[in-house]
Amino acid sequence: MIVLVGLNHKTAPLSVREKLFAGCQGESNLLGDLRAIDGVLEIMYLSTCNRVELVAAVEDAPQALNALKYFLAGQGGLTNEEAAVCLYGYQDAEAIRHMFRVTSSLDSQVMGEAQILGQVKDAYRQALEKNATGIALNRLMHRAFRTAKRVRTETGIAANPVSVSFAAVELAKKIFGTLAGKKVLLIGAGEMAELTGQHLIGNGAEEITVANRSLSQAASLAEKFHGKAIGLAVLDEALCNVDIVISSTGAPSHIVTQEMIRQCLRKRKNRLLFLIDIAVPRDIDPAVDSIENVYLYNIDNLQDIVDENMKNRRCEALKAEQIVAEEVTQYSNWLKELGAVPTIVSLRNKAEAIVRMEMIKAQSWMSKLENGDREKVDVLVKGIVNKLLHAPVAVMKEESAELNSQDIVAVVRQLFRLDE
Amino acid sequence: MISVGMIIFVLALVCCAFATAGYLLSLSVKKIGLAKVSTWILAIGFLFLSLNLLGAAIQSAGWDNFGSRHFLSIYAWAIAGIYLGLQFKTKTRLLGAFIAPFILLFLIAAAGQGADKNLVPPQWQGWLTTSHLVLAIAGESLFVLASAAGAMFMIQNSLLKHKKPGKLGRLLPSLSDLDRINHLGLLWGFPLLTLGMIGGAAYAAFVWGNLWAYDSKVIWSLAVWVIYGFLLHQRLAIGWKGIRMASWSCAVFALFLLSALVIRFCFSTVHNFI
Repeated sequence: MIVLVGLNHKTAPLSVREKLFAGCQGESNLLGDLRAIDGVLEIMYLSTCNRVELVAAVEDAPQALNALKYFLAGQGGLTNEEAAVCLYGYQDAEAIRHMFRVTSSLDSQVMGEAQILGQVKDAYRQALEKNATGIALNRLMHRAFRTAKRVRTETGIAANPVSVSFAAVELAKKIFGTLAGKKVLLIGAGEMAELTGQHLIGNGAEEITVANRSLSQAASLAEKFHGKAIGLAVLDEALCNVDIVISSTGAPSHIVTQEMIRQCLRKRKNRLLFLIDIAVPRDIDPAVDSIENVYLYNIDNLQDIVDENMKNRRCEALKAEQIVAEEVTQYSNWLKELGAVPTIVSLRNKAEAIVRMEMIKAQSWMSKLENGDREKVDVLVKGIVNKLLHAPVAVMKEESAELNSQDIVAVVRQLFRLDE
Repeated sequence: MISVGMIIFVLALVCCAFATAGYLLSLSVKKIGLAKVSTWILAIGFLFLSLNLLGAAIQSAGWDNFGSRHFLSIYAWAIAGIYLGLQFKTKTRLLGAFIAPFILLFLIAAAGQGADKNLVPPQWQGWLTTSHLVLAIAGESLFVLASAAGAMFMIQNSLLKHKKPGKLGRLLPSLSDLDRINHLGLLWGFPLLTLGMIGGAAYAAFVWGNLWAYDSKVIWSLAVWVIYGFLLHQRLAIGWKGIRMASWSCAVFALFLLSALVIRFCFSTVHNFI
């Protein structure tokens, strides 16, 4: 049986997550301690800034759930109240579903983010190194990775940016194709402009110029980007040479006017110009947008795109849930079949033992047979035994996939006296 | 009895039809993967068409004896070839949604023509006529490409200006790429068309003894050539770029199509090959 115990950003405040995170990080042999818990057969431990979770294959689910919750609460020094509110526990299909949703980034704070898959893979690798996983968890994790891949490729959950700065980068790519070699002008040394600038550089933009009222502030930001700093007085000139402008000053009126852009059009040879105005009140005159080959986006325009993308992600998440449901059913069936495997093995062993015994008994008269005939009898007997066993084995597999394997297993064990 | 050449031609036609359907579907369901597959299908169609044309050239012992079907096929072949060649350079798969229908139209028109009907009356055949035709076709094909890129530019520009890039905007190529294709189309198309027209005029001067044929097609073509020349001048000397160039290319292309249709159905011309 699979169980999952843990807490995440939805159930626990940061202070509780911190405590548990620190408690678990401090423990050097965490997986060893967890495996020592009674009834725990296989275990894996996942810890990210948003969640701490334990997933385990166990003998008795309710008992293991309690033991694991108790362990986590103890590790993080959580009060009884905190543990009751923050910790959740799932078993069987619910636990499998949760694991698949986490890996596919459906349970993440920013739905569709790519980081979580890598974190789960790391956690699994650690568990593998410590030999803490076995057949059930190995298969579970491979299925989880497969589900994540399917969600990523079959739905558009991770397709569109959901942050303002990434949306700006995406737009820049729609205008310029590639950002390689593009020149960026930051007007104002605000945090948001810096972040967007960083993303643009990360995507290949090369020259960064920082223009600011205070030249020293401009210089310190320019230093970060290995760019150059200029004063606002020479802004007109700078506008003639750049491709992307990000403005975020606290100025009360427009810093870039329609006239300024018009005047530098000839010098720019009508090259495309992308202006991003993230300041409130606005730095760039909205009339600039009416100029040919100039594209102006303000903070609301960008936010609208982000909202639209977020809405799309939520729609795509419905498709993703469908994929998760399919995968959960497949894995659950396999897991249930797994319950019948030891009985199937015993049944085959018993049959083989009987055949061996009877063959030994029949040796006296079989020795009179000609060489080839003895093998034929051997094949015949084995054929009959296999045919007889085929139906019970098939029924056991089917029944245990659909229902609980325990009942049919008990019947078969009694019928064939496998426990004697 | 259906000839091998005909089978290859039909295969090319079928590939092109599938590619066109794929491109248009890709545009409507907004999935780029379909456009990628369609590009491969178009490439296969292009190979079949190349085989077909090569076979015809060998069979008819020279390019001069090409029939009307092959004449139209060369149009389709040139547009497809230029478009596919461009795919190595830029990621503009969806441009196919605008180009492939043209290729398909040319092929369908070609299918309706006899392969044995001589394109050029026997008394006019010669290397000068051939080069006149091939250069003019290549030039016009490049204008088709430039205008298709211009049309896409206008759509993408409108989406970005209205702050609604959405799914379609994400699917369409970037403005820079489209502008570059428009530029290349004009830059290469204009000199080719110019050479083609000089070839025609030289032929007329040598054979008919008159440089200027007073043919309706010639007059229209010259008008279109002048406008394209004007566009190229504006682009290179004045620095027209982006939306202005795109909208002008589309307008001139519409004029070009109109002239072709009007001449075909309303006037008599020595260029009545189709």
